[in-house]
Amino acid sequence: MLLTCSAFFAYEFLTFRKTTISQLTTLGKIIASNSTAALAFESKDEADQILAALSAEPHVVAAGLYTANGKLFSHYPANLAPKHFPGTVQKDGFSIEESYIIGYQPVIEGDRWLGTLYLRSDMKAINQRFLLYIGIVALVMVFSSLLAYFLTERLQKRISDPILLLAETAKAISDRQDYSVRATKLGNDELGLLTDAFNQMLTRIEEQSQEIISFNQDLEQKVNDRTMQLEAANRELEAFSYSVSHDLRAPLRAVHGYARILEEDYHSVLDEEAKRLLNVVQQNAKQMGMLIDDLLAFSRLGRKELTKTEVSMSELAESVVSDLNKNTPHNARIIIQPLHTVFADRSLLSQVFVNLLSNAIKYSSVAQEPVIEVHSYTEGPDVVVEVKDNGAGFDNQYVNKLFGVFQRLHSSEEFEGTGVGLALVKRIITKHGGRVWAYGELNKGASFFFSLPGELKR
Amino acid sequence: MEVLRKLIKAKQFSWLRSASSAILIPFLLLTSWSSPNQSAPSKEYQLKAVFLFNFTQFTTWPPHAFPEPETPVIIGVLGNNPFGNYLSQTVKGETINGHPLVIRYYKKVEDIDACHILFINLPKGIGTKEVLSNLKNKNTLTVGDAPDFIGQGGIIQFVTSDHKIRMKINMEATREADLTFSAKLLRLADIVN
Repeated sequence: MLLTCSAFFAYEFLTFRKTTISQLTTLGKIIASNSTAALAFESKDEADQILAALSAEPHVVAAGLYTANGKLFSHYPANLAPKHFPGTVQKDGFSIEESYIIGYQPVIEGDRWLGTLYLRSDMKAINQRFLLYIGIVALVMVFSSLLAYFLTERLQKRISDPILLLAETAKAISDRQDYSVRATKLGNDELGLLTDAFNQMLTRIEEQSQEIISFNQDLEQKVNDRTMQLEAANRELEAFSYSVSHDLRAPLRAVHGYARILEEDYHSVLDEEAKRLLNVVQQNAKQMGMLIDDLLAFSRLGRKELTKTEVSMSELAESVVSDLNKNTPHNARIIIQPLHTVFADRSLLSQVFVNLLSNAIKYSSVAQEPVIEVHSYTEGPDVVVEVKDNGAGFDNQYVNKLFGVFQRLHSSEEFEGTGVGLALVKRIITKHGGRVWAYGELNKGASFFFSLPGELKR
Repeated sequence: MEVLRKLIKAKQFSWLRSASSAILIPFLLLTSWSSPNQSAPSKEYQLKAVFLFNFTQFTTWPPHAFPEPETPVIIGVLGNNPFGNYLSQTVKGETINGHPLVIRYYKKVEDIDACHILFINLPKGIGTKEVLSNLKNKNTLTVGDAPDFIGQGGIIQFVTSDHKIRMKINMEATREADLTFSAKLLRLADIVN
C-alpha cells in the first residue's frame, strides 16, 4: 500500500511541478504581452504598474523587465534593490536554480523583440504540496493500519479463537485419553460445521474405545480360563504319567526279580535252552524298565523349575565323558574342543550331554575308527554346541522325526534304545529357550546341534 | 554606430548587448538632452524616432491604406528634420507585417501624397493647423511635439517632462483619421478627447 501511495503521489507531485511551471510560463507570457508598449515607449511608470500586478501571485518573489539592451528597466517589488536581479539576461525558458524557479520570457510585439521579462518564483507551493502529500500518505497509512488492526482483532475473535479452542480440546483429549469430552460449538458457520464433525468423530472414537476395552476384557477372561484348563490338564497328565510309571514298575520288578531267582536257585536243574529263555525274559524286563525310567524322567521334567547358574561346558562335558568311560566300555575316540561358558541348569545340561554323547558312542560303534567331536561356537547372541560322530548316521529326510517321543529311526535289533533320549534333550533345551536340530548321512555319520540363547548369560 | 545597433538588436549577443550598453550609455549621456543637431540627433529625438517607428506596431490603419502586400509603410517628416539620418537607420531593413518601411522628407504639404505617419516640425509651427486640416481624411497619423499640437488637430503630441517622453493622444482626431490604437499604447498616453 505504501508503494501504491508513493507512486501515486510521486506522479502527482511531478505533474504539479509541471503545472506550476506551465502556469508561471502563462503568467510570464501575459505580463510580457502587456508590457510591450511600456518597453517600446520607455514608460517606466506603466512598466512598474504592470509588474505590480504580480502581487496577485504570492509565490512570485521578484520580476524585472529588461530592455533590448539588456538594461533592467523596471523591477518588482519596488523596494527590492536592483542588485538582487540578474545582471544579464539568460536564454528564454524556465529552470530551477537553488530553491527558486527562474524564467526569462521575451517581450515581443508583432514580430519585433522589444526586451525580456524576468520572473522569480519560490518553491513554497510545490514544497507545501509535497509536504501535504507526505502528510496524506502518513495519515492514510496510520488510519488503515488502525483499521486493519481493529478488523483483525474482530476477525480473530470470530475465526482464530474457535479454531484455537478446537485445537486445545483435541490436545486435552489426547493427553487425558478422555473421549467423553466434546468441543463447544460457537456459531453456525463453517467453523461450526467443523466443530460438529469433530464431535461426531469423538463419539465414534469413544464407542470404538469402549468396544476395544470390553473386547480386551473378554480376551483376558478367555485366556485366564484356557490357562487354568491347560494347567489343570497338564497337572493331570503329569500325575497320570507319574503314577502309571510307578505302577508299571512294581510288576516289572517282580518279573525281573523272580526270573533272577529262578535262574540263580534252579541253575543246576535248568538246561541251556531254559537258561536262554530266562535271559530273554530278563533282558525284556530290563528294556521295559529303562523305558519306564526314561518316561518317568521325562514326566518329572515337566514339573521341575530351572535353576540357572554359570556352567563351564568344557568341565561338564569332561566329567560326563569320564563317567561314560567308566560305566560303558567303548572304543570311540572322544575329542572335546574348548567350549563356551553358559548360564543354564547344571543337572539338566548334564543330562543333555549324557544323552547326546551316549547316542554318539552307540551309533558310532559300527565304524572302523569311531571318532566323536564336540565343539561350540557363537551365532549372534546364542551359543551353539555340536556333537558329531562318524557312525551309522541316519536318512536326513526323516530328520523331523528324530526328536519325537518314542521315535526311532533304527530298529531295536540294530541299536538298543527307547527313543526318549532325544525327546528329553529337546524338552530340556526348549525349556531354556534354545533350539535343537540335527543333520545326518546314512553310514557316514551325524551331527547334533543345540543352541542356548545368549541373554541367559548374564 | 549602425553595426553596433544591429548587434544590439540581435538576440544572440546578449553579452555584447550588455557590453555595448556599458559603452553606449555613458557615451549618450555626454550628449546634451535637448540640443537638436542635424547630423547627430539628440537623445530625445533618437527616442522619438524609435517611437515613430514603434507607432507602426500599435496602430491599425484601414485596409485601403495598404492596397498591396508590398505597399510600403511611409513615415514622413514635414519641415525641419530633427532626426538626422537616425530615422532612416532605425527602419532600415525592417518590415511591419511584411510591409517595408520608407522614410520621406517633405518641405511643403503639397509634396505629400500618401503618408501613414507624419512628423510635423514646421519652423516656428507656422502653418501646422492648415496642414492638419488638410490631412483630415487621409488616414495619416500626425505626430508633433509643439505644445498645442493636439489643440490644432494633431493626433499624437510628444510631451517631454522630467527626462521622460510622454504622449498625448487626441481620440477625436484619431477617429476622424479612421485609425485604431492598441489599448497597450492608449494606456501609456494621456487621452484627450
